[in-house]
Amino acid sequence: MSETVTQQIPREPEEKVAGPWREAWTGFRKSKAALFGAVIVLMFVLLAFAGPLIAPEGINEQDMSKRLMAPSAEHWFGTDDFGRDILSRVIHGARISLWVGFFSVIGSVIVGSLLGIIAGYYGRWVDTIISRLFDIMLAFPSILLAIAIVSVLGPSLQNALIAIAVINVPNFGRLIRSRVLSIKQDEYIMAAKGIGMKDTRILFSHILPNSMAPVIVQGTLAVATAILEAAALGFLGLGAQAPAPEWGKMLSDARNYLRDAPWTMIFPGLAIMLTVLGFNLMGDGLRDALDPKMKS
Amino acid sequence: MKKGKLWTLAVLLIVSMVLAACSSGNGNGSEGETEGENAGESSGGSKTLVFGRGGDSVSLDPSRVTDGESMKVAANIFETLINFGEQDTTLQPGLAKEWEASEDGLTYTLQLEEGVKFHDGTDFNAEAVVKNFERWANGDADTFPYYQSMFGGFKGDEGHVIESVTADSDYTVVFQLKRPQAPFLKNLAMTMFGIGSPEAFEADSDGFGENPVGTGPFKFVEWKRNDSITIEKNEEYWKEGLPKLDRVVFRSIPDNGARLNALITGDIDLADGINPSDQATIGDDENLQLFERPSLNIGYLGLTVTREPFGDKLVRQAFNHAIDKQAIIDAFFEGAAEPAKNPIPPSIPAYNDSIEGYEYDPEKAKELLAEAGYPDGFEMELWAMPVPRPYMPDGAKVAEVIQKNLADIGVIAEIVSYEWATYLEKASKGEADAFLLGWTGDNGDADNFIYALLDGDNIGSNNYTYYDNAELHEILIQAQTEVDEDTRNELYAKAQEIIHDDAPWVPLAHSTPLLAGSADITGFKAHPTGSDILSNVDFN
Repeated sequence: MSETVTQQIPREPEEKVAGPWREAWTGFRKSKAALFGAVIVLMFVLLAFAGPLIAPEGINEQDMSKRLMAPSAEHWFGTDDFGRDILSRVIHGARISLWVGFFSVIGSVIVGSLLGIIAGYYGRWVDTIISRLFDIMLAFPSILLAIAIVSVLGPSLQNALIAIAVINVPNFGRLIRSRVLSIKQDEYIMAAKGIGMKDTRILFSHILPNSMAPVIVQGTLAVATAILEAAALGFLGLGAQAPAPEWGKMLSDARNYLRDAPWTMIFPGLAIMLTVLGFNLMGDGLRDALDPKMKS
Repeated sequence: MKKGKLWTLAVLLIVSMVLAACSSGNGNGSEGETEGENAGESSGGSKTLVFGRGGDSVSLDPSRVTDGESMKVAANIFETLINFGEQDTTLQPGLAKEWEASEDGLTYTLQLEEGVKFHDGTDFNAEAVVKNFERWANGDADTFPYYQSMFGGFKGDEGHVIESVTADSDYTVVFQLKRPQAPFLKNLAMTMFGIGSPEAFEADSDGFGENPVGTGPFKFVEWKRNDSITIEKNEEYWKEGLPKLDRVVFRSIPDNGARLNALITGDIDLADGINPSDQATIGDDENLQLFERPSLNIGYLGLTVTREPFGDKLVRQAFNHAIDKQAIIDAFFEGAAEPAKNPIPPSIPAYNDSIEGYEYDPEKAKELLAEAGYPDGFEMELWAMPVPRPYMPDGAKVAEVIQKNLADIGVIAEIVSYEWATYLEKASKGEADAFLLGWTGDNGDADNFIYALLDGDNIGSNNYTYYDNAELHEILIQAQTEVDEDTRNELYAKAQEIIHDDAPWVPLAHSTPLLAGSADITGFKAHPTGSDILSNVDFN
């Protein structure tokens, strides 16, 4: 008897785990918009990795004799007010923006999930404290909170990343908490509790994996927002510092030349727009694919 | 259901229309006023000039402050005993119609204009002048900072230059000095020492900055903090036919781009602090004209000698070789500047043109760094000013060029910036490794640059580099008391050589600040000190 039970257990999860993911992929593939988004994201990821190899110039090769040149065969995107090649800077900038986007979201997912799980699973005063903390943070307009954090820590790319991670924590925390609240009533959790499984094991082997789908969707969308927020902080001079080719900072540097050299603004602007669009389309596709309600 | 939606929409529409009507109603109120003013200009009935500038005044009592924005307004409310020339710093009659110096340079006798009245109706006479100087001499460094640096201290101080100020007759004032002071008359011509009504400041000395009373072409009307200052025509002005304008409004618009836009749309008539890159835009616009302010300034990179490794002369010289001034000027002054090699601008007679500026030569710079013991360079902070200044239109961009220049010789510079007041305070405490800054001369004398900015006496006030050279100090003090112009220039020539060799600064540029105004403005002459007297300005 006991042997048959132990044999059945490993087989079952294999089917359960592989099934929904494959199903999601099929759903995702059906949406053209989502695929388009994924292609854009993939392209920027490639750019970020291969940047130094592809870019025709370095990020800070100033040449005053070539300043503010219009796009040409030599400089596809033109040059900025220091005579630097804008194409090269936009390519290098992909690395900065994606880096901030991914890592700030990973940071908020880890911290947010942890807090959310604890709040949802233990309830009572722990929940009250954590939830009120989230409410307080959500009461601030997010960019204002980010500005406040950066002004305390001092302006730099690193601190901008931390600030963006912090402001996104409550979004993930609340998401996970609500998932945990519903999952913890499910029979299999009751069963696990019933056989005396430890809290940590229940939390990390059962509840967490089953709450991941909405986090993935929210995470993809949050990367887009994080990139925008990083650009906003860069624009305000609170993010990446000179001479880093951060897109938002490039926009702000180009402000004075809007009339005479619009390309200094157009290309970094387009880069921001495209990445954000890519992540949003991809996130929407993922949501449709992963949402069990959409299937039925 | 559909009907319900329609109704909701209709209600929303009505509500938003009502709200819109309210808000535009408010807008109309203020717009109506400005429209009225503008209409007045063209019809010639009431002529109002709106002068847009980068910041608000600190106080309208010019003796209490040192900032240019305060002087800009005060120069039109107060008059000085002696005036500067229209666009230079030559000495011209002001409230004193003539003056005479004794041969030993210790006694100055000034004959005053008769029949001049203060805005409050009291008489301007020798007694009033004496009371003004008594007020300043009995002050302290907190109340009258500029008096201290121009006249060497206050009553009872060792260095105080003025022995006494007395009224010989109703319209004759005699200044008795303890020791000769070469720039004495130029100092009297500085806007800081405009003569105020004794009755007004005796009644309320602290409140005088809010309610200034002088003899100038315009009277103070109203001050909305951080927004605007309004002054109006002094009908009793003693100069026949002046001023030509009825009203002047000084508006603060901090952003250079926004200020230019306000000029283009006609909200203001005259704008200070035009970006050099906008010259072409203004040139192309028929409704606008460009004004150049004669250059009397220096923009520099200060190296704080108390911070390692800038205590080493070789490092400072290396920096002078490393920075490509011409590239900076071409790019971010758009050519509206000339490269600097001395701490004073060439328009000052004491300028030492025989000094050879440091060549842009990164190789030489690397050698000097290696000689100083830093073959691989070092890391440092490079401070960039957060606001456009007349001597440097865009500090952040200039810093970025310097950052690259320094990277070429192996020095890693991190660009740092603070809010403007904090920036000045921290830099004055010697907290910056290297900082961008500049200076606009207030009286066109070399003393007002070299002594004020680089003498050991002024560490903590205007000498932010903490550079202190005993030999230089002796020369500067000697030059202050030397009355003979040629000997004096020789002393300053020597002083500039010492500074050149010690290199506490990288002198960057002497800029030509730009202003723009609507095409129908006549009679506006931008003064090199930045204090423009508007009595001759008119509309066509």
